[in-house]
Amino acid sequence: MTTPVVGNQRTLGFSQPEPSRPLRKPRTSLKVRNALIGWTFILPNFLGFAVLTLTPVITLFYMSLTNWNIFGTAEWVGLENFARLVGDKSFHIALGNTLYYAALHIPITIIVSLALALLLNQKLRGAAFFRTVAFFPYITSIVAVAVVWNMLFSPEFGPINQFLGMFVGGDLPGWTVSKDWAMPAVIIVGTWKDMGYYMLLFLAGLQTVPTELHEAARIDGAGAWQRFWNVTLPCLRPTMFFVTVMVTIQSLKVFDLILVMTDGGPGQATLVLSQYIYQKGFEQFQFGYASAIAVVLFLICILVTVVQFLYNKRRDA
Amino acid sequence: MNRKIMSAFGVAAAASLALTGCGGESEPEAPEGPVTISLAGWDFASTPEFQTLADAYEEANPDVTVELKEYPAGDDYDTALTADLSAGAAPDVFIVKNLKNYVTFQEGGTLLDISDVAAELDPETGGLEPMAVDGATYAVPYRQDSWLLYYNKELFEKAGVDLPDGSWTWDDYAAAAEELTEGVDEKSVTGTYLHSWQSTVQGFALAQTEGAALDGGDFSFLAPYYERELALQDAGAQPSYATVTTNELTYQAQFGTQKAAMMPMGSWYIGTLVAEQESGAADTFEWGIAPIPQLDESTTGTENTPVTFGDPTTMGINAGIDESKVETAKDFLSFAAGPEGAAALAGIGITPALIDDTVADAIFSLEGVPQDELSRFSYTTHETLPENPVGQNTAAIQTILGEMHSAVMSESTPVDEAITEAEERVANEVG
Amino acid sequence: MTARTSPFRRFGRVLLYVTMIVAAAGIMLPFAWMVISSLKLNNQVFTAPVQWIPDPVQWSNYIDIWVKADMVTWVRNTLVVSVAVTFLQVLTGSFAAYGFAKMRFPGRDVLFLLYIGTIAVPWQSYMIPQFQMLSSWGLNNTLWAIMLLQAFGAFGVFLMKQYYESIPDSLSEAARIDGLSEYGIWWRIIIPLSVPALASLTIITFVQTWNDYLGPLIYLRERPLWTIQLGLQSFIGEYNAEHALIMTGSVLSVLPIALIFLLGQRYFVQGIATTGVKG
Repeated sequence: MTTPVVGNQRTLGFSQPEPSRPLRKPRTSLKVRNALIGWTFILPNFLGFAVLTLTPVITLFYMSLTNWNIFGTAEWVGLENFARLVGDKSFHIALGNTLYYAALHIPITIIVSLALALLLNQKLRGAAFFRTVAFFPYITSIVAVAVVWNMLFSPEFGPINQFLGMFVGGDLPGWTVSKDWAMPAVIIVGTWKDMGYYMLLFLAGLQTVPTELHEAARIDGAGAWQRFWNVTLPCLRPTMFFVTVMVTIQSLKVFDLILVMTDGGPGQATLVLSQYIYQKGFEQFQFGYASAIAVVLFLICILVTVVQFLYNKRRDA
Repeated sequence: MNRKIMSAFGVAAAASLALTGCGGESEPEAPEGPVTISLAGWDFASTPEFQTLADAYEEANPDVTVELKEYPAGDDYDTALTADLSAGAAPDVFIVKNLKNYVTFQEGGTLLDISDVAAELDPETGGLEPMAVDGATYAVPYRQDSWLLYYNKELFEKAGVDLPDGSWTWDDYAAAAEELTEGVDEKSVTGTYLHSWQSTVQGFALAQTEGAALDGGDFSFLAPYYERELALQDAGAQPSYATVTTNELTYQAQFGTQKAAMMPMGSWYIGTLVAEQESGAADTFEWGIAPIPQLDESTTGTENTPVTFGDPTTMGINAGIDESKVETAKDFLSFAAGPEGAAALAGIGITPALIDDTVADAIFSLEGVPQDELSRFSYTTHETLPENPVGQNTAAIQTILGEMHSAVMSESTPVDEAITEAEERVANEVG
Repeated sequence: MTARTSPFRRFGRVLLYVTMIVAAAGIMLPFAWMVISSLKLNNQVFTAPVQWIPDPVQWSNYIDIWVKADMVTWVRNTLVVSVAVTFLQVLTGSFAAYGFAKMRFPGRDVLFLLYIGTIAVPWQSYMIPQFQMLSSWGLNNTLWAIMLLQAFGAFGVFLMKQYYESIPDSLSEAARIDGLSEYGIWWRIIIPLSVPALASLTIITFVQTWNDYLGPLIYLRERPLWTIQLGLQSFIGEYNAEHALIMTGSVLSVLPIALIFLLGQRYFVQGIATTGVKG
């Protein structure tokens, strides 16, 4: 198969995921051929995915339109569950808390993990050791993580407040047992736990940045900041898109960490959507209603992702 | 819960039991040939109650094999069992562990009607009456723990405080806690310890307050109980809720290693403490059990019956059970919830739902259990009301009250404000 | 480093290292607490204030967990599941990603959004329908269920697709001219260039399966099938918990992963430039 290599090259020798654009061969047969080959690549994964993930997810969408207590048969109620969400104050609180968590956790995590990746991508002595250390929070058991951070945050005995007490007088934050400070505390721990994970993804992306480009930019007299802005970041765009989407979705879905750290408390100060779904489903057996909340969460995630997707496409074009 | 309503309800339930009892007079015939029934339980390594019941039953019925199926302990039991029930993969007999899920299980059609088994049981069986839903019973209690007051005799003596004598109200308890804290005068030892569970405050308030009801929409009965606990933690007479949760304190360590002189806790802790003192996990010290403090003097003193709370643990039959095994399963339930099962459980230090003298003798003959009069009185004499009265909305209301508990105890929200908020939420979200 | 070492620069370096070492110590604190707790008596694990030095030191926990508990079984099951899931996820994910990244056909973007869409649905909201489905095939209470659950997720496809997109097309074009098929390009050109992404996907999938709790909780009942996380959780009984043993098990469960990560370093930072592909 011969394909002319024209018009695809962009600066930096990089091209985007443009397909080979045939000039002489008939378009349709090649299109079909391409589609067939494309599908053979996707099929092995798609079969498992369609059966094991997609089917239950579609069932979930159906369940969101029913009244189902999990054991009996589901009773069709149309959009009743969604109508109930409009007036459900706890749902509003959970939604607000989820957005609060995401709004802070997403940018902080991206910045911190990118900075870590840039730092540890250099030829530093002991870089391997430090990379392993940065990855540790991600592999450490979440129960241990919650226990230790809760102790660190303990208002009376915790080292954090003892340290703060040396500088600040008056009332110290109550952290995980205070309505105002529980969410910041959880965000701190969330970022701390996730940074190594996203650092690893950025690190992989950084390997695609050609060193010659950096050298060339350096010779042109570009400073470190300029090189980062004009060379590293553009080359990192696919990874950046991936990380942004993943951080966004995972922040909106945050569950385990909050469950073990505060269990949504005090009061409803850290109640998030995923936890509310679990509460409604597994504690109160309102699976239909829980499914409706999951659908809303899904729609929010998808909305944000599509915006990111289109933005990314436009930048590519 | 209002005890008048309770007793009226009790009469109705007893009448309905009697009615159903008429229908099922004949003893179920034991089926011929070997039968195997499966039983769900948890934590087999350290909670031998399921093995004990199975062994005792198999010994009495050589034809039957009781096959144990292990589930995770704690709240995970419900998650895993729910999954199995929904997929039709649950065992023949399973434990309805949390009373608040009972109605959902029943409405979901997962439980077989076992009114005939219930009718044969001793009406004295703790927690049996409230299990009737519209006249039919779907699960029977086989064990029932009640909440008691544990105290460390040595710390009391050290502080020069009089031992509990059964006459305490909560105010006496609070005063003693403060005296003990001062009297022992050690930085890491407090007069009492209150665990972080919502039941440690709400369970008592609900059981002891006249007219209190979970689904009545009025939670003002909780206020005095919360005010008292907040005062105790502010006075330093018990570790604050903030410390208990952030340092994940365990009640076993707090009382067992003598960091608290008193502790309200369920009767299951008797067995745990005895075992831990024997293994060395807990310090060796002399302890005792007293009735849980009362709201006012009308129920204090050994001539009265102290009011406390505790949910029964109940057993039901999977509605999907094979037809041929139903009789055996029912027979197993009668056994487990009856006097033979009770004796077997008491033999390993577990409090059965049916407490008679044999049971008390068995428990108090265990090595390491306190032998004083008051301990025995507290163990055998109490009116135990459920923490989670059987009802349609119990689970949803408890979630709201649980959130209120953490808001109040962490001192994020003042008591009255939190109560008003909880009342509004129940009106808005439940029903 | 070609930079001259001026005193100012050297001071900066020292400062950087001091900062990094302090930060590293802070980051490792929870792990340190795990190790310390694993050497304590059970009732000493949770105290206020925290007791940082175990007294007496309980080395026996590290023997007990093998002797008294089924740690060997748990490790074996966890290993089987993690290896199988990682293998399937990396293989099918990296294969499918080529279709999404380098081929163009109608419906591709929609299909891809569908993949990402499922990431956006919390698992606990559809785990019951999924469980009912797998149970109806008789797969509950088997390790197969756990393998199937995680092996075909969208994550691997997404990660690999994005990585492929940063590989210059000029390389595959050249290969195409040389007559290599699309499969050949994937195997000979793209895969060797994607080592850092494959390594990341491998370790992440492995860790996720290794540490998964809710999946095994729902699916696995019988003791011979338990995974490490499930086994450790069983130390939390109804009325008491073996906190010290849980921490012992957690330390043991983290170490192999940390070791793999440390040893696999060069794969994470293997740049395109260093692989020596000349087109």
